Parts: sequence; structure tokens; C-alpha cells
Amino acid sequence: MAEDRPRLPTVIALLTLLAGSVVFMSVGVRLTSGEPGAWLTEVAVWTVAMTAVMLMTVPAPSGTRLSLGIGAVVAGSILIEDPMVLAASVSISLAASWLIQRTANIGFVRTNGDLLADSLALAVYVMLYLAAFDAVDAVYDPGHGWVVVAVTSAAGLGWFIIRALVAALVGLERTDLAGRYLWLLALEDWAVVVSVFAAGTLFGLTWPVMGLWSLAVAILPYAFSHLAFERYHSTRVTYGQTIRALAQIPEVAELAPRGHATRTADLAVAVAQELGLHPADVVELEYAALMHDVGRITLNEPAILKAGFTNEDIARWGAQIIAEAPHLKYVSSLVEQQHRPYRSPGIEIDPDVPMSSKIIKVASAYDQGQTEFGLSPVEALETIHQGSAYEFDPTVAASLRRVLVFRGEIPY
Amino acid sequence: MFPNELARQQRAKVRLAIGFMIAGIVVVGVLAFVQEFPTPLWLWGLFAVAFVFFSWRSVEVNDKLFASPTVMILMTAAVVFGPASAVLGCVAMEAIGPLQPEDIRERRWFQPAVNFGQMVVSSLISVSVLTWALWGPDFANTVPPMWRVALASALAAVVHGVVNLRFVMLIVGRVYGQREMHPWSHMVQLLIPYLGMGFLGGLLGATYLLIGPAALPLIGIVFFTGYMAFESYARLREAQLSTLAGFIKALEAKDLYTRGHTERVAYFSNMIGEEMGFNGTQLETLRWAALIHDVGKLAVPREVIRKKARLTEEEYEEMQAHVRHVEDLLNEVEFLRPMVEIASNHHAHYDGNGYHGSTGSNGVVPSLEARILAVADSFDAMTSTRSYRVALTQEYAFAELRRHEGSQFDPDVVEAFVIVLTDSGERYGSPVEITEEEARRRAEQGMGGVHSLDDKSPRSSEYGSDAAHG
Repeated sequence: MAEDRPRLPTVIALLTLLAGSVVFMSVGVRLTSGEPGAWLTEVAVWTVAMTAVMLMTVPAPSGTRLSLGIGAVVAGSILIEDPMVLAASVSISLAASWLIQRTANIGFVRTNGDLLADSLALAVYVMLYLAAFDAVDAVYDPGHGWVVVAVTSAAGLGWFIIRALVAALVGLERTDLAGRYLWLLALEDWAVVVSVFAAGTLFGLTWPVMGLWSLAVAILPYAFSHLAFERYHSTRVTYGQTIRALAQIPEVAELAPRGHATRTADLAVAVAQELGLHPADVVELEYAALMHDVGRITLNEPAILKAGFTNEDIARWGAQIIAEAPHLKYVSSLVEQQHRPYRSPGIEIDPDVPMSSKIIKVASAYDQGQTEFGLSPVEALETIHQGSAYEFDPTVAASLRRVLVFRGEIPY
Repeated sequence: MFPNELARQQRAKVRLAIGFMIAGIVVVGVLAFVQEFPTPLWLWGLFAVAFVFFSWRSVEVNDKLFASPTVMILMTAAVVFGPASAVLGCVAMEAIGPLQPEDIRERRWFQPAVNFGQMVVSSLISVSVLTWALWGPDFANTVPPMWRVALASALAAVVHGVVNLRFVMLIVGRVYGQREMHPWSHMVQLLIPYLGMGFLGGLLGATYLLIGPAALPLIGIVFFTGYMAFESYARLREAQLSTLAGFIKALEAKDLYTRGHTERVAYFSNMIGEEMGFNGTQLETLRWAALIHDVGKLAVPREVIRKKARLTEEEYEEMQAHVRHVEDLLNEVEFLRPMVEIASNHHAHYDGNGYHGSTGSNGVVPSLEARILAVADSFDAMTSTRSYRVALTQEYAFAELRRHEGSQFDPDVVEAFVIVLTDSGERYGSPVEITEEEARRRAEQGMGGVHSLDDKSPRSSEYGSDAAHG
């Protein structure tokens, strides 16, 4: 999306900040070398550098923008010998970057929840790193490259798990998002995280031996990956928008009620997140929900309209259209199943109907009740409850109710 | 293509393949005596695996910037191997690269044979340049200063690119003659990425020398995750295209007369674009525009399209409103905006007249892409059977395009299309000669005189164009 891309002045400001901090850092390192009491300068230099890097972000698959600060902290842990200096620099720069984001309102503001997750995870990282280093210090030469790589990886794994855990815990306090969903979502970011870690470690290892050249060695390869992550992200956004646009063709042709597809999809996604479905399933569910009525374009044919049709026909025609796209085979099957009842007399539950299809069915019926039959939210939900003998899965209905309560659409 | 031309090409291919094979084998043989093989062997193996991986599986991305990370791996390896074994080690890596599994499976021999010799000789020259520039004539085995590493490897990478380019031009010129040359002229653009790749490759090699093997997994991880992300990006882009294409195909399949129309128009547009020297991004935009050029009609009720009589002014307005609504919808996708503009302009005439869609304005010459789309669309309309007439012949369609060039169609586009379609040997339209009156009469007899939307516009007087002729 256009609005979460940093604008040019922001980019220039960040680059200036980065360049300034690099100069500051190299001057500082030169000044502090050999002087025992100069730790204050060291803290100042590192704080500026870490703050600058923390302000930069990369789009992660989970949909959030991951701060590159962890890379700077990784490099700092390797390069800073005094644990006190390290702890001070990390905490001050964390606070500073958060404050700058809040006040300057730079496109990608972090929320309080993110700040909590970031600080906890960073604290765990620094502690794990120091502990692991102490453990191996006695046995191996600490300057040895492999030791650094091993210690960084171990501490990094801890950081990654803590980050996902905190994300899931934050979810517990919101009633509309399942902890499981948030935990799985945070795990999806592993590739971005690994890439940032490797770049930070590379910088930490090369800075003492090659000076400013280490910037090129660590940053250039990462820049390729960064560009790839950015492009992947923007393509994913456009792909979603394209499907959204295609899904509305029947509505433009006045063959389906206006806005029904979008509203159904938004509601279905909320229910899926509340129920804790896998994030990858939620994406396909969203596409299927958007296109669940696309079969209505067939009604363009007067003969078909005259011959009559059932909801099953609409679902089948829609599935046929979607199946033409090789990448949407699963989405097509979701659309095809979406009209089916979740159980029938004598069969307690139909195992062939996927959860996503049941969710679409409920969300679509709820929206239809409101917009087509003019029901109030409570009345529309009532029809879902009444239909839960065969048509609507009560698990989904209960989840829909919780989502609506959270949104304030029905009273608690 | 004449049979003797094919035979000449075949002879040229055999001569080139033998020449390059011999050159490659001689170079490898001589080097094996002059230089030592890099030690330890696993290190060479590691670089060779990375090199082969990237030369076999280059990601299809539009801009050439990421076309080939192999030259970077080559430079890293050369710096790591040191002066005594850099050339042999790198040449040995390059010798494996051309053995693509696909070529071997399909028993293609020309490409691997020529690439083998070409790659061996290019890497021999380029790594020799690196050895000379990096360690000097005395071949001292020390870590040179960083600036020297960076400059030397950037230079060597560019040399690699230039030598490669010369070879490719030589081969293409020998086998296909001048006419097929132009896509390769874009290869000059490759030299800038070569510069960057070489610069970085040398620095990474120096990192290995200073840090030791622990640097390898770190560098590897960064590149591998980047590669993965690029691959999923390319796959997603593909998915987006095939989703749109599949969708449109399924929707238009409902109408007997337009079945396959979009796909053929996209195919013809792509053909013309290639002939007119479009680069990757331009071609992609054109293909997308062709795919969506008729999507607006999907929202028009069939009874309007099937109506026998000429449309009333209101019905025509209503149809245009539907088309415009769909265009507005697609315009919400920022990425599709340039394509929608081309698509909505494809009825506009070269001289600035005609219907300019919802975005264009009268009197303005439509963009080259829109002019290409207009020719492709009209050609397919003429050479396929419509509700109001059976298909015309290809010759008739060409003559019609030529008759309206300068007014309705861009003469350059028409010429390019006629040349490229004739060269391809493909044929469209009716196999027997048929006049337009006859075609219309037959359709009326055969299909009960059903008229098409295209025929009923109240304001049109031109030919072939899909929304407004009569």
C-alpha cells in the first residue's frame, strides 16, 4: 500500500542520520581507544547508531514491519566489550527510537504492544548472548569466528521465540484475535529475521579487521534481500487488490448486491483470526470469501436466469471460474464447498467441509440478512443461531458473536 | 524459413560448437599443468555448488539487475583461492555451469557445447585480469588492501561481461544473421550490474581471508534468504498474471464468439511488442493491458450484446457506463493503472479520432501500446467468426489494416505485425478466400442473422475495431 511506504524526505532524513552516526561512531571509536574512562562516549556513539538503525524497517511476511534494530544490537553485542555499555546503549536507543517514531509520526509507528515485545525480546537477546559468551569464553578463543556465529545463533533463537511468545500473549488481552494465530503469524517472519541477524553478525565480525569497508560487506548483500522482501510485500498487496477488483465484477454488472463480497471477506477474516486458523489459511480464506459469489456473473446469460438456479449452482459456477487460475485451486474448492450444510441428520459433522468454507457461509449469510432483508445485527445473528441445526456451524456462530461484540455491533 | 537457410544454420552451429569445445578443452588442459587445484577441496566444492545452483536456477525478474549472481560468486572464489590456483579453480567451476540438466534431458547439444567454451575462455581472461590487478606481477600470496580488492574484482567482472557479450554477438551473428540481433543489444545494460556484483564479490572474498570460514554461512544465509524472497516474489507475480488471465478466460468462455479472443490478442500484442524492441517491463505492461482490454464487457448484460437491432443511444450509454465501472474498479489497483489506461484507449485512432475510452480525450494520439493493442484487436476480430459474419482471410485482414493505416492504425505497428506474423508462418482466419459481403451473408444464413454489439454503435463508421464499427 502506498501509505506505509516511507516518503522521500523520511528516507533522506534516515540516511543522513545513518551517515552521521557512522561518522560519529568511527570518530568515537578512535577517541575511546586506549582511554579507560571513556565509556560515556562509547554509549553515546552506540546509542546514535542503534537508534538510527532501529528506525529502519523491513516488511515481514506477517504483515508488520520488522525493525532492523535487532541487527544493530547483534553487531553491538559482538563489538562492545563492557556489558554495562551494551545494556545502556540498547535500552536508551530503544526508548529514543520509540519516542522519535511517536513524535515525528514516521509512516511505520510501533504500537505499545510492539514496544513491549521488542524490549522484552531485546533484553532476552542481550542476556542470552552474554551468558552464552561467558560459558564458552573459558574454553574457546572468544574472537574466533565460529564461536561468535554459534553464540549469536543461540541467542537469536531465544530472541525469536520470545518475540513470538510476547506477540501471542498480547493477543490474549484482545478478545478478537487468537493467541495461536498471532504466534504462528510471528513465526512466519523467520526468513527476514535470519537475514537481519546474519547481516548484523557479519558487521560485528568484520568491523575490527576492515573498518568502514565492513559497511559494504554487511549492508550490500542485505540490501539485495531487503529489496526482495519489499517487492514480495508490494506484490502480495497488489495481488490481494487484483482479486478484490475481479470479485466485484458481478456487483458492477448488477448481478450481486453491492459491497457484499468485501463485507463478507472482512467478517470471515475476523472470524478466522478469532478462531486461530493458520495465517496461510486465512489468506486463502480471504480470497475465497471475496470471490464466493463470482459465479453470479453467469447470470448475465438470460437463458440461465430464466431456467432458474440454486445456491449450489452459483457456488459450482464460481468454483469453475476460479479453477481456471492454476494458483487458486484450493480457493476454488473452498468456494465450491461454501454452500454445503456442516451436518445433516444422522451425520454428526460432515468432515469434508473445511472450516474456511463454514466461515464463509456464516459470514455471507449474516451480511445478507442485514443488507438484503434489512435485519438489525441482533436479528441477523439470530437467523444464524436458528440455522445452526444443519446450516451454520455453532462454533463459527459463537466466534462471529464474539467478533461482533468486540466491534461493538451487538451488546455484550 | 527456407530449407537451405536451415541447413546453413545447422552447419554454422556445428562449426561453432566444435570450435568452442576445442578451445575450452585446450584451456582447461593447459591450465591443469600451469596452476594448482585449489585446496582444501571442500572449499572449491562449496563455491562450485553455489555457482552451479545460481547458473541453473536464475530467477526470472524483469530488470536485469539480479539476472546473474554467478559472476559475484566467481570473484569471491577467485580472491579466496589465491594467485596460485584462482584461474584453474574458477575455470573448473565455469566448465560445469553450462551442463544444464534440462538441456541434457532433452538432448540439446549446441547450447551446452558453445557455452562451455565461451564460459571457460571468458573466465580465463577475466580471472587472469583479476590475478594481475590484485596480486601484481610478482604473485605475492598476501591479503591486499581492501580498495585494491574491490577495484580489481569490479574490473575483472566487467571484463567477464564484455568478453561474454562479444561471444554471444559473434554466435548470434554467425548462426542467425543480423536480423535477430536486437534483443541481445540490451545486454550492454548488464555491464553495470556486473560492476556491482564484481565489487561485492571481491569484498566478500577478502572477508573470508580475514575472518575465516565462519564468514561463509553468514554470507550464504543473507543471499539464500534474498534468493528465496525473489523467487517467491517472481512466483507471486506469475500467480497474479495467471489469476487474471484464467479469470478472463473463464468469463469469456461463456460467449461462443469471443472465446479465446483475449488470449490471442495478448499473443499478437506480445509479438508486435517484441518485434518493435520492447524491453521486459514494457512487454509485461502490454501483455497485461491486452488481457484486460475487454474485461469491461463482462459486466454488460448479454441481452444488450445479443440484441438484433442497432442499440439506442441510451443502451449504448448504459453499456459504456458498465465498461467504465469495471475500469474504475481495476483503477483502484495502483499497479494496474497504466494497463487500464492503455486498454481503455485501444479504440482510439492513430490520427486522434475515434473513441478514447473513459480516460483519454479526443484529438490526442494514443500511446504506442494502445496503438499496438488496436492492431492486434482488430486483426483478431476480422480473422475470427463473429455473430454477424464468418471469419475473413488473413490476407484480407492485412489489406484492411493497410487500408486504414495512417488514419485508424499506426503504419509502423501494422508493418511490424505483418512482418512478424508472416515470418512466424502461423496462419489465422478463413483458409478460403471470402469477401466481406459473402462473410456477412453466410453468417446470416447460418446463424439466423444475430448481430453483434460491435455492429450496433450509433456513432461509428470505421473498420475492424471491436467496440465501434459498422
